[in-house]
Amino acid sequence: MTDKTVHEGGCLCRTVRYRVTGAPMWVAHCHCESCRKASGSAVVTWAGYTRETFEVAEGWPVRFASSPGVTRSFCPHCGTPLTYETERRPGKVDVTVGSLDEPAEFAPTAHVWESERVAWLHIADDLPRHEQTGPL
Amino acid sequence: MTDDTVHQGGCLCGAVRYRATAEPLRASHCHCKMCRRHGGVLFQTWVSFPSDRFTFVRGAPTIYPSSDIAERGHCNRCGTPLTFQYLDKREYVSVSVGSLDRPDEVTPTVHFWAKDMIPWLSMDDRLPRRTRH
Repeated sequence: MTDKTVHEGGCLCRTVRYRVTGAPMWVAHCHCESCRKASGSAVVTWAGYTRETFEVAEGWPVRFASSPGVTRSFCPHCGTPLTYETERRPGKVDVTVGSLDEPAEFAPTAHVWESERVAWLHIADDLPRHEQTGPL
Repeated sequence: MTDDTVHQGGCLCGAVRYRATAEPLRASHCHCKMCRRHGGVLFQTWVSFPSDRFTFVRGAPTIYPSSDIAERGHCNRCGTPLTFQYLDKREYVSVSVGSLDRPDEVTPTVHFWAKDMIPWLSMDDRLPRRTRH
């Protein structure tokens, strides 16, 4: 039976609220330079959903074409990074686990873009580490 | 004229650029719920500079007053979270480590708000963990 659990999330200022339905297809830490820039952090953790299972419930996230074929969305009022979509994976929407209301429920199963990891960052785990996009 | 830039950085789209002419006062991880949500991350890392050694050389962040005691800045074109500043401590400004051109060149030395750290996030370092700040 399909998991229909609804998880909610949104930005810091609560202007944008979204819902995702069901378990994510995957959860991964991304160390790439673009995600670091987009989040201001050393590493961003993403949960993979689809256009059918992701829905904006309130507010109007701004969409930005961050690189060819890639669109990132964020809250224009407070800056919270929310989603990532790429033409390489049509119909998929990745959400920042940090913008979900219950991030602890979304443990990752892999690292991607290990080749760009910040040198001083060591997250101790036995998860597979893909030099680039890996399975995504 | 000597270029005394020590660190520089900016947002993903390049609309906002900054430079610092001093080494950081400190680089620190923050696990508090506000920093996590603001960055869309499991933890954030801030690098603080004396305000009089820090300038924006292109553009400026959009400021969001996130609480009674602090404000946060981001780029309004691409969303990059850029700055954090306490309202009563404007003598220094913190920038997000991911916005630095070379995040490898700073070294975080502490975890703040470790009481809010995601339970399964295992940071393999021996840095001190402050419950709050």
